[in-house]
Order: sequence, then structure tokens, then C-alpha cells
Amino acid sequence: MGLTDRKAWKNLREHAVNTGSRHLAQLFAAEDDRFAAFSLREGSLLLDYSKQRIDRETLTMLCQLARECELDAWIEKMFSGERVNSSENRAALHTALRLPPDSQLSVDGTDIVSDIHHTLARMQQIVERVHAGQWRGYSGLPVDTIVNIGVGGSDLGPFMASKALTDARVEGARKLEIIFVSTMDGSQIAERLGNLNPATTLFIISSKSFTTIDTLSNANTALHWLRHASGAEDEVLFRRHFIGISADNERMASWGIPPNSRLALWDWIGGRYSMWSAIGLPIALEIGMEGFRQLLAGAHQMDRHFRHTPFEQNLPVMLAMVGIWNINFLNIRAHAILPYDGRLSHLPSYLEQLEMESNGKSVSRDGNDIDYNTCPILWGEIGPNAQHAFYQLLHQGTESVMCDFVVPARRYHDSGNADLQQQHKLTLANCLAQSRILALGDTVIDDDDTAPYFKRYKGNQPSTTILLDELTPHSIGQLIALYEHKVFVQSVIWNINPFDQWGVELGKQMATTLMDPLSRIGVDPDFDSSTDGLLRSILQHQEQDS
Amino acid sequence: MKIAVWGKELTAWVTAGALAKTGNDISFVNSSHIDDPLTLMGSSIRNEPGLRDLIVSEHQQKRLRLVQTRTALGIQAHILSMNSSEFELARDIVTRLASKAEGPLLIINQSHFGFGATDRLQALLDRRKKQVAVYFAENISEGEALDRIFNPRSLIIGSDDEAATLTLRSLFKPFSARLENLFVMNPREAEFTKLAIIGMLALRIGYINELANLSEQLDVDIDVVRRSLGADSRIGRHHLTPGCGFGGNNFPQTLNSLAQLLAKNNKSTLMQTVLDENEKQKELPFRKLWQHYKADLHDRKIAIWGASFKPGSASLDAAPSVRVIDALVAQQAEVRVHDPEAHENVQHLYRDNPQVKVIKAKYDALKNVDALVVLTEWPEYWSPDFELMLKQMKSPVIIDGRNIYEREQIEALGFSYYGIGK
Repeated sequence: MGLTDRKAWKNLREHAVNTGSRHLAQLFAAEDDRFAAFSLREGSLLLDYSKQRIDRETLTMLCQLARECELDAWIEKMFSGERVNSSENRAALHTALRLPPDSQLSVDGTDIVSDIHHTLARMQQIVERVHAGQWRGYSGLPVDTIVNIGVGGSDLGPFMASKALTDARVEGARKLEIIFVSTMDGSQIAERLGNLNPATTLFIISSKSFTTIDTLSNANTALHWLRHASGAEDEVLFRRHFIGISADNERMASWGIPPNSRLALWDWIGGRYSMWSAIGLPIALEIGMEGFRQLLAGAHQMDRHFRHTPFEQNLPVMLAMVGIWNINFLNIRAHAILPYDGRLSHLPSYLEQLEMESNGKSVSRDGNDIDYNTCPILWGEIGPNAQHAFYQLLHQGTESVMCDFVVPARRYHDSGNADLQQQHKLTLANCLAQSRILALGDTVIDDDDTAPYFKRYKGNQPSTTILLDELTPHSIGQLIALYEHKVFVQSVIWNINPFDQWGVELGKQMATTLMDPLSRIGVDPDFDSSTDGLLRSILQHQEQDS
Repeated sequence: MKIAVWGKELTAWVTAGALAKTGNDISFVNSSHIDDPLTLMGSSIRNEPGLRDLIVSEHQQKRLRLVQTRTALGIQAHILSMNSSEFELARDIVTRLASKAEGPLLIINQSHFGFGATDRLQALLDRRKKQVAVYFAENISEGEALDRIFNPRSLIIGSDDEAATLTLRSLFKPFSARLENLFVMNPREAEFTKLAIIGMLALRIGYINELANLSEQLDVDIDVVRRSLGADSRIGRHHLTPGCGFGGNNFPQTLNSLAQLLAKNNKSTLMQTVLDENEKQKELPFRKLWQHYKADLHDRKIAIWGASFKPGSASLDAAPSVRVIDALVAQQAEVRVHDPEAHENVQHLYRDNPQVKVIKAKYDALKNVDALVVLTEWPEYWSPDFELMLKQMKSPVIIDGRNIYEREQIEALGFSYYGIGK
């Protein structure tokens, strides 16, 4: 049965027609304690969705839809290692990466829990050696700079989490600089290498396939830089200056990474779900293995909650289903991620990949075109900064936008710095103020209707607030797992596979075919007139240079 | 004069012994139940050349007695010769003295509590009752402590009280045979001068080490440069010997407080840089070995001659050997350590590590090793039996962290030789 034919879907559509035009101000007026009815807590995380355009009936219907879509069964399939990534015939077991060591889970007869913990133990050795100042470069000086070369999932997750957890940095990491390099054009690596000491720089080459051209081209630049600067033999450079993280052991070997410097991934982890694996090594280098294990424990807590809690009390399910209501029944096509904490500066770009690469699909699991909206456009920015940028559109534009506010309740409490504590209060005040005005508009102010039309705020923009007790490895683990499962729930409703990304493949192929014409190899280009025109123009400019 | 000496450091013992010998009545404050001074000293202080005999003799003559704190509190003159970390304890002592004393007190602070500490102690006292705190810049150095106290070339007294100054002058008069300069200034100036002297010495060592590392890269022999550099009368020869870094207890601690003072008041990183570079320099012999064996020391056997931070001392305080041994252990090498005095301390420090073996005879330490690393220039290492060494070692590689051998001679014998800066 198609999604739009389901009974719950039809009920929701009718419900939307009847109630969808109600303003959030009316909803708040109609029910005294919406917060009690529409908020949930799990561990150190509070989810407040009372500023969504829903009532109790909406939620009942949404949960009914989830049941009709057999969400329960899908959750079990994912956790138990069934091949839920059907187009690639693989399991999606990022949840297994968070299992405690005494758990059991097999994939194709292999006990993956022991494999996972073996890799964690190897990560621990590396982290401890670096922190002790005993990971030595070719000259014998201890390594003091880590350059993580990776892109997509091998960059965004570790980058986001490392930035988020700078306050959890351990003593051994204080003198360590951790740098992330991802861009294909070499601008990041070229800029950074100029200021680095080759004798004390360790490169982490992260690529699940170890074929990613962006990553390998940066890695080659790094290798040539080391060769040129050190005069050391390649064998020494590979042994002391590179760690490879990949699911393809042979490709790591043929690039030159020796066995002791390889960390394993598995094909049952998607890149954008991989920060819990060895891909998270830069995070562990920042916060230590104990901190990294707390991150995993936070995610595992959310896993257990997601797997075993009734939909009505289930944070990822609620976050997802409210999204379904907004996207499919209120026709909202844009979603803003607004962290009110500078340490979460990279959360928006992380979630852009997680959500849009997972659910940016228009073909169902059974291969049919679908006739409903899936993943909306996601973007975001640190909230207080975005207030000076795109909030104008949120408050007075023509687009309906749903927003996620993410903010820690406590910060600087043990710093003894009253100025910073005051700044955090100011940030919290702004966060609460913005979500309130977005929801209620200028009805929150007396004499609202005397204002001129250009000063009016219509409100009714729905938002969810995720309040973390404080930003810790554990709470970040919970937060990211919350979004991962939210994405999965929505994919189940939409009947799409969230674990593949075929849409990124064709571009890579086409880029390969364009390399020859750009090097003036072969016959004259015959693509389309636009591409041909651009090629000619580029080649002309290059001629002028030479 | 009746004086109480507070502290457990080498300086405390040396000061107590020397002042007893010149006829003072010294009460060495002892809060433990140990009544034998040699036991109380501990092994590393006991090994200081000449000190054992001095203390035993003064103790027998009863010019030096171990007394309990209570007894000491009744005395008028006190020397604080304590560890730099014990300022709170010093405050506590002075507070108790002040509360008990009706009349005059003289507190001679010679601990490295940092700049301004003596004034902070003075603030606890009542000047109207002639209670005074002064600073005395001790110049005691492990391995040559007795010579330093009995024959100082220069003395610095930090005092703004004339009577106290006079007392100090007469107290140290017996030691003025070779005295060239005696400076009296206020306590803050004296504390600052002490920091300035130590800082200058560290700068010289740091500078020559930097030059040595550079000269290696430029293929220049630092020894040649060093000799001509030292011949310049504006510069002089002292503290210009390149090596694998300085250690010890007082020296780095004093430097640390100077570095902090500079950083806090001036945002200056000069002295911190010297300290950081010195830490790097301590590992230089390891790095030479690492490069020789192409960045892989796994399962290599390495001999170390000399573990104490300098000859004449058994102390491992901030010693380069500890950094080198730790680095070797981390690379899964086996380390065979010889040191004429520090072997017990090495044994104790690495008691849980089977990779580190302490060998009593220096040639036995070389059995089957892949290299010898010399880290302390003990006299017995200067002219060893090279033929025997060649027989003992598996690979004849010498890393000379103190530049005690001549490259040409060593290489002619068939060794691979690595010095500092040559």
C-alpha cells in the first residue's frame, strides 16, 4: 500500500485541513500546559515540541501512522543487523558501535562486538601514545599536530564533535593542535602546511573506501610535503606520519600505510553514521578515550530509549513525526538548525549531511517514484549570529520554516567568571525570546496592533527546543543519536532507504571524464554548449598564463 | 649563635653543617621520630661529597642537634631552607613564631619561594619588636655543595634592617676567604637578583645548545665555535658547553618562577622558551638513536651510562636520563642503565618496569647492546676501555650526550659516533 493510501495518512490530511490554519497563539490559549503535554526528557536531554503546530489528536494520528508503517519492525530490523540498506545489500549498524563490550551481535556469523572493541582498544593505544608525547615523527620529536584528512562523513562528524567538546579536552591534548582538512581544491591543506612542522605532524587519512579523490589528493600533497621537508625514507614517513582509517585494508596497504597504523571500518557503517568508529579518532585525541567512551555511552542510552520506549514517549519518534506533520501536512519545506552555543558551530553542517544525504530521495524502497515530499532543505548557523542574518526571513518572510533550537542549560558554572556566566544568560534569553516570538508573533507584546505594518510579526513558525543539561561527551552522544534515529524514523514513514547516496556518484564519474579535456587530451570536447563554452573559456585563460 | 634550621633539602643540611662547624649552636628541626641525622637525610643527600662526615662530626660535637618543632619555636634566629613548594608551611612557621615571641626574631629565608616571598613573611612579623625577615641568596649546587658554602666568591644579602644585616655579615664572615663581592640590598632586589643570575645561566646553556643543534645541520663543529666564543672577554667560557639539557631540583624550579614572573607581568615567553627547548634537548640523544635506527627501536637493547642529572649527584630530578629512558621504553626497547651513584634511584623509579635493568658494572651494561648513550659525564666514563666496549656491544654505536669523546678517535676504532653539535 502506498503511503498516501494509508488510513492514518488520510486522517492526518483531513485533520490538517480542519486544524492546520490554527495559529500557535490559539493553541497555547486553548491548552494551559502545553509544555507538560508536549515535552519529553531522556537522560540529560529535554525535547520541547510544544511550540509545534500540533494538538493531542495530531500526535495520536502521527503515532498511528508510524504503527501502520511498521516502524516497530523496522527499528528491530536495523538494530538486529538486517540488511536495511537494501540498494547496497548491507546492514546499517552504527548502533552496534555503541554497544557495551559484554553485548552480543553477529553479522554473517562474525561477532562484531569483539571486532568493534578490538578497534577501540587500538584507538586507545594510539591516543595514549600521542598524549604521552611518545608518538614520534621521523626526527624523533613527539607529534604535536594532527591533521585529519577526510571529507563528508570522515570530516563533518569528527569536526563537529571536536569543536563541540573543546571544554572536555584532556590534559594530554592541551599542547596538541588538531586540524581538519577536507576541500578538494587544496586551499586548506596548502594554507596549513605552510605553518606546520613536518617533523611533528601526524596525518590521519580517513576514507571508508580509500578511493575518495578529495581525500587522496590531499593525502598525496601531504606525503610529498613530508618527503620534500624530511629527506626521510618513505617507509619511515608512512610508519610514523600516517594513520589510515578505512574499510578497505588492501587499498590502505597499497597506498603505503603499514599494518600497525591501519584502523578498521566495516561496510555496515555509513560514512555519515561513522563518527562512533575509528573515524572518531580526532575526537578521542581531543577528549581522551574515556571521554570518547562517554560519547558512545550517551548514544547507547539514546539507542536503548529509541528501541524500547513507546512511540508517544519516544524522543526520536516524536522529533521525526512532528517533522512529518510539518513537511507532509503543513507543507513546510525548510528546516533551520539553530544552536545557541558557539561550540556547536558545526552542528548545522553535520545535520545537513545527515538529513539531506540520508533522506534526500524521491524513489521508494520498492523502486517507485513517490508522490509526497521527503527531506526538506536544511540549513543553519549559530543562533545569535543568525539573528543578524537570516532571522529576518523567519520573522517576516513568506516561507514557513521549522526551527530546531539547541542550547545547554548550564555553561561556565564552574569557571568562576561572572562575565562569561552573564553572557550565557544573555544567550539563553535570546534563545527563549526567538522561539517565543517565532511561535506567537507580536501578540506577546501589549498594544501589538498599533504598530505599523512593517513592524508586525505574524508568528506561527513552529519550532522544537532541545535543551541539554550541559554540553558533555555524553550529552553530545545522546543528541547526535537522537537525530540519527529521527532520520531513520522519517525514512520508514517515507518508505525510502536512508543509508545509500547514489545521488553523489554520477558527478564523480562526470568529473573524471572532464579531466582529459581540461588537460587538452583527446578530441575537442562535445558535452553540452554550456559545458563546452566554459571549458573553452578556461583553456583560453590558462593559455594566457603560460 | 643559636639558630634553628628548617627544611629537608640539601641546602638545609649544608647550611646547618657549615654554620655548626664555625661554632654556632644549630637546632635542625625534625618533625619525625628519627634521631639519627644520616637516616633523616636520605640517600641522595647523604651522597653529597663530604657532607656525611661534616654532619656526623658536628652531631657528635653536639653543635648540631636534631630538635622537635616545639623546642625550635623558642629560638630567636631561624633559617628557612625549604622546598619551593612549601611556602604555606613557611608562613605557618613564621606565624607561630610571631605569636609566641614577645621580643626580637630573625628569619633568614633562603628558600626559592619566588619573588616577594620574604616581604610576605615580614608582613607576619612585628617590626616594632625587632622581628625581621631577610633573604639570603644561597648558591649551593649539588656535587659541590661544601665548596660553594665554605668558599663563596660572592654573597647577596636581601635586608632592609641594619641590625639583621650586621648579624648576617658576621654569620658568614668565616666563609669570606675567597669572597670578592658582598652585596646588600632589599629583599625584593635580592630575590630578583637570584632569579636574574639563574636566568642568565640558563640563557647561556640554552643558547649554546641552540647553536650546537644548528651547527650540526650546517656541518660545523660546535667545539671550534665554542672555544673562540668563550675566548672573547665580554663572554667568557662558563656555562657554554653544549649537552643534552640541564636538570636538578632548584635550578629548574627557580627558572620556572622567573618564567612565570615574565609571562604574568610582561607576556614574555623568553624564559619559558628556554625551559621548553631544554626539555626537548633532554631527548636529543634519543632522537639521534631514533634516526640512526630509522625510526624503529622496537626490541633494541640500549645501554645508558649516567642517569643522575649531573656528576657528583645521585639525584634524578629533572634528569635527561628519565626522559630518554621513558622514550626508549615507549618504543619497546630494552634499557640497561649504569650510574655510579644513582643506580638505587633508577632501580626504584623503574621498579615496575621489566624493560629497564640497572647494571652495576659499566662494561656489563654494554653486553649485546645496539648502542651506548652517555648522559652524565661521570669521570669514570671519560677514558674507558674502548677495545673492551667493542667486544661487548652488538653494534658499536655511541651517542655522546655530553661531548666527552673525540670523534676522530672513536670512529677510528670502528664506532659510529654522534655528539651534540658535532
